[in-house]
Amino acid sequence: MTLGRTLTGLGAAAVLVGAWGLFDRITQGHHNAAYGSYVVWGLWVAMYLFFAGLAAGAFMVATLDLLFEVKTFRGTGRIALWVAVVSLGAALAQVWLDLGHMDRIWKVYLQGNPGSVMAQMVWGYTVFGALLVVALALAVRRPGSPALRAAMIAGLPLSLFVSGAVGALLGVQASRQFWHVGLFPVQFPVFSLATGVAAVMVAIGLFGPRDAPQRGDQLWALAVATIVLAAVKLYFLWADFSQSLYGNVPQNVAAVHAVLYGPYWWTFWIGQLLVGTFVPVAVLVQRRLARHPVWAGWMGVLVLVGLAVARANIVFPALAVPELEALTTAFSGPHLAFDYFPSAMEWAVTAGTVGLALLVFVAGSRVLMQQEEVA
Amino acid sequence: MSEDHDPGGDPAPPASVPRRTRRSRRAFLNTLGGAAAALLALDVLEQLAAAPATTASGATASGPPLPAPTEADLLLRMQGDLRRALARPAHLRRWAMAIDLRRCIGCHACTIACVAENKLPPGVVYRPVLEEEIGTYPNVSRRFLPRPCMQCENPPCVPVCPVGATYRRPDGIVAMNYDQCIGCRYCITACPYGARTFDFGRTYTETTPTGAPALVGRASAEGYERAPAREYTQRRPREEGASPIGNVRKCHFCVHRIEAGLLPACVTTCVGRATFFGDASDPDSLIAQVIARPNTMRLKEDLGTKPRVYYLL
Repeated sequence: MTLGRTLTGLGAAAVLVGAWGLFDRITQGHHNAAYGSYVVWGLWVAMYLFFAGLAAGAFMVATLDLLFEVKTFRGTGRIALWVAVVSLGAALAQVWLDLGHMDRIWKVYLQGNPGSVMAQMVWGYTVFGALLVVALALAVRRPGSPALRAAMIAGLPLSLFVSGAVGALLGVQASRQFWHVGLFPVQFPVFSLATGVAAVMVAIGLFGPRDAPQRGDQLWALAVATIVLAAVKLYFLWADFSQSLYGNVPQNVAAVHAVLYGPYWWTFWIGQLLVGTFVPVAVLVQRRLARHPVWAGWMGVLVLVGLAVARANIVFPALAVPELEALTTAFSGPHLAFDYFPSAMEWAVTAGTVGLALLVFVAGSRVLMQQEEVA
Repeated sequence: MSEDHDPGGDPAPPASVPRRTRRSRRAFLNTLGGAAAALLALDVLEQLAAAPATTASGATASGPPLPAPTEADLLLRMQGDLRRALARPAHLRRWAMAIDLRRCIGCHACTIACVAENKLPPGVVYRPVLEEEIGTYPNVSRRFLPRPCMQCENPPCVPVCPVGATYRRPDGIVAMNYDQCIGCRYCITACPYGARTFDFGRTYTETTPTGAPALVGRASAEGYERAPAREYTQRRPREEGASPIGNVRKCHFCVHRIEAGLLPACVTTCVGRATFFGDASDPDSLIAQVIARPNTMRLKEDLGTKPRVYYLL
């Protein structure tokens, strides 16, 4: 209860900060954004990748209960679906605010370019979002029904497609060596699953029913999954970076160096590796701590922080390397810089999105738990 | 000896040469010079007579006479090439640009002309000039590389657009549909040349203090910035929230000028006459002859973008 109140207070404060950011965004447009014409995608797009991946990953975890009926995960499907719904809403809010003309989003649906990966991704996430809502409604009102199974069967390949599409969105760009990795569409579903597993671990650990008998087993299973996925992610990271450095293509090397030794090196070494990977793994390998709801829940939070930083470390460095070396100094003006750190307005909007998502999630999870108790 | 001295400067001739003979030679030289001048005047008159009835600027023969075009008048020749190209169907044209890096002096006149022509706001640039310093002191030189949009035949920016707002025109120019663009900036990330910028809605006068109306200060200065540009032969007053604010923008070879029979602004203002433009599919055009030279290159050809901007080395 104390945690719930604290998080509600924090969420409300974040929403207030976000309201200021949103006001600034609506009245001033993109004036006060730190992204520009060179680093064109900033914090909001990175958080979009994070939240969208989280939604797909949480759905994948939900299938363990609602489709594959794994005993250990019995009762986790609905909360996992709720995580997916809320995070997808946060993702779409973040990326919508990033558009130059928010009022024209309908054009993607009615006048879209089928050959564009971005259009495919928008359509995919729209269908996925609708399917999430339907699946959640069925899970609440008709658990175990054939309709729910059908929705989960349809959703599983769709979740792989949308999370892979995020990787493809970046991977198809031959002009950005750092992104142009053939395995990106394969790696991103793994990242999504890792995000979803961590988020469900937080949901069960910090917000789940206290007296649920399988809670410890569920947390332990999620902890093992987190450790395995952390190892896989580290291997992907090693493969990407080592090949880039051995390949010695200047643009690629510059991007990798920006991550490892650039002005924001600490986000990678401290945020992504230490806080987001090594500390949680060191705690979760201990079965006793991994089964403990509070420990597991907070380790899940750390993993999520690390994964959010990882998304930023994929988006920003590739854009921070000039396409032509002398472009940096060729013309000066606002929003023409290759260095990027989010502005106060960007942080505020993101804080508001996270805060609102937190409040909505907490409120919804209570309703879901009450319904479960009634059932 | 003193009576033979000419204070005008010619040294005195040797005493052995008779005076009469000396005067005859001077008269002969004067006659020769006069005849040459007369011939030259006749030649100029003949050239003027042979000049076409309509001058390069489009003025009729009744207007002030202009010198006839010669090989040295690159702009006039390109203007003629342009007129010839416009007479052909658009899909048969192949607009191309060539930039002679040996002639570029790094004056940035083309950048400024482009900004003025298209009324570009702060932070939006179509044709920056990249400057590079080569070598180490004292053996240092500088190299300049103007970088317009490459108008690629295989543009990576086009297929990625989720709403088809950027497209290739029949004449090969990669254009923007400002009313269609949602401002996602995906095309910017796809361009390997950094040739696209986003219009954040900035104005040069946004920090100017407000002064007496219509005389000084922001209110009067802003009028120029709000005036409509003529890009894509459209007239778009610059208003908050309206395109092209919130859109991605790019060089379009001054398509509004081309369609009016004018060369792009960067071409006409190039101080070193380093920029060539025209229809590369016309074998008689200057641009076709220039890009056929062996000392041309294109940027990042390995990406398969097939740029239509060539550089002469």
